[in-house]
Amino acid sequence: MNPRWVFLCLLTGFGLTWPAYGQEPDLRGIWQVRNTANINLEGHPALDGMEASASHVVDPEDGRIPYLPSAVATRDENYRNRETADPQTLCFQPGVPRATYVPEPFQIFQEPGRVFIVYQHVHAYRIVYTDGREHYDPGIEFYMGDSRGHWEGSTLVVDVRNFKEETWLDGAGNYHSTALRVVERYTPTSTERMVYEATIEDPEVFERPWTIRMELERLPEPESQLLEHECERDETGEWRHPPELGGPG
Amino acid sequence: MTRLAIGVIAALLSFVPSVAAQDDSAFEPPRLENGRPNFRGIWMNGSISAAFDVETHPDAFGTRGGQSAIVDPPDGTLPYLPGAREVAQDNNLHRERDPVSHCHPHGPPRAMLPPFPMQIVQDGDYVVFLYETEHAVRIIPTDGRPHLDGYSSWSGDSRGRWEGDTFVIDVIGLNGRQWLDQAGNYLDANARVTERLTMIDPDTIEYESTVDDPTVYSEPWTLRVPLRRRPPDVELLEYGCIEGDRDFADVVN
Repeated sequence: MNPRWVFLCLLTGFGLTWPAYGQEPDLRGIWQVRNTANINLEGHPALDGMEASASHVVDPEDGRIPYLPSAVATRDENYRNRETADPQTLCFQPGVPRATYVPEPFQIFQEPGRVFIVYQHVHAYRIVYTDGREHYDPGIEFYMGDSRGHWEGSTLVVDVRNFKEETWLDGAGNYHSTALRVVERYTPTSTERMVYEATIEDPEVFERPWTIRMELERLPEPESQLLEHECERDETGEWRHPPELGGPG
Repeated sequence: MTRLAIGVIAALLSFVPSVAAQDDSAFEPPRLENGRPNFRGIWMNGSISAAFDVETHPDAFGTRGGQSAIVDPPDGTLPYLPGAREVAQDNNLHRERDPVSHCHPHGPPRAMLPPFPMQIVQDGDYVVFLYETEHAVRIIPTDGRPHLDGYSSWSGDSRGRWEGDTFVIDVIGLNGRQWLDQAGNYLDANARVTERLTMIDPDTIEYESTVDDPTVYSEPWTLRVPLRRRPPDVELLEYGCIEGDRDFADVVN
């Protein structure tokens, strides 16, 4: 190909937004966070055997989730009732972005025009279409959202919409409405690391969009394999996580 | 010399049927860049009556009649050990026990039977089955790694390999609670399931599954159903089950 034509493609972004198969960046692998974001996205002191953590919220700079004043009471009530009210304890599909920082691995597969994200946690999965197809119409709601992606250089950008409201953003009661929209950015930084960013927008709950950022680690293959995380009803009929994968023993 | 000639003729004769068999399946599947048949896409059982009962069964309330999906033994009957069919018949009288009605994954081979789509993903050394029902997933490595040790689950532990253009999956590690259909036919934790997927025309994968379970069946048996390609505008949708099941605790109490 004429070098000037390649340059022109790069300049216009043509070659970046519609790469041919084989040129698509490679996010394949088994990934996992090493943090406590699933318990609380904001900074928190050491409690309940959990190490203290800085906030994963990088925007706003103060690390606080910018709730609308009218939305704080629901968050506080969620926090008080978290041991029984957190949808994750009830074995719901975890939603987005929480699926990423549940402390369990997930595996990425790729085909031309599609990225598949399979989570060990309750074997939820997402099919991220990168072939330019449209979102579903508003009003069709999903626990895991409706994911449409594209590549920006080596970054996978996923626009996720059409959420149900019955998932939380963490175990501290941070929540959202059906107006949630999440834009995720998966950026490999080395063969063993990836940076995950998610910008969370929900005008019913938050004053403005806010962004979390964290690192993902690659797990070695073939030694690592996703296991089946399947809940079981206990004797009272409530769903419980398997003891070997984080449930009550 | 005569004996050798007879041997040669016998060898030739035995060769003829296998050549003929190959000619029958001479369909040339579409292929991926790595030369393997391209099974990518969304598929669904084209013989839905097997989801109700893998054996021959009449129309009945809530059950569509159909011929047996069992191709071996040739009479289409599951070769239960003495006493085991009674367990299945008792299951059939207590369909509320069906694990699928409790939101659990079907597990193989039943996972291929229900009238819901499943997507086959092929990526490098992995073949992945994404099922719409129960959002069940099977990640099938084909790199020759051994099975997990002491593993037990609804979907089992799958290892894949290619025999020519047929994808063969060896499954162990089933938890033994799986049913085979809505009629209560079943297997237990000693089951070894060998699945064979062969594309026989552009829109059909022949699915064969042999169940070897010496504590329930007197001999291995095989079922066969066609998986039909779904139209290109079909997408898997999200399946919720546990999420909508909060009231069931009250029902069972």
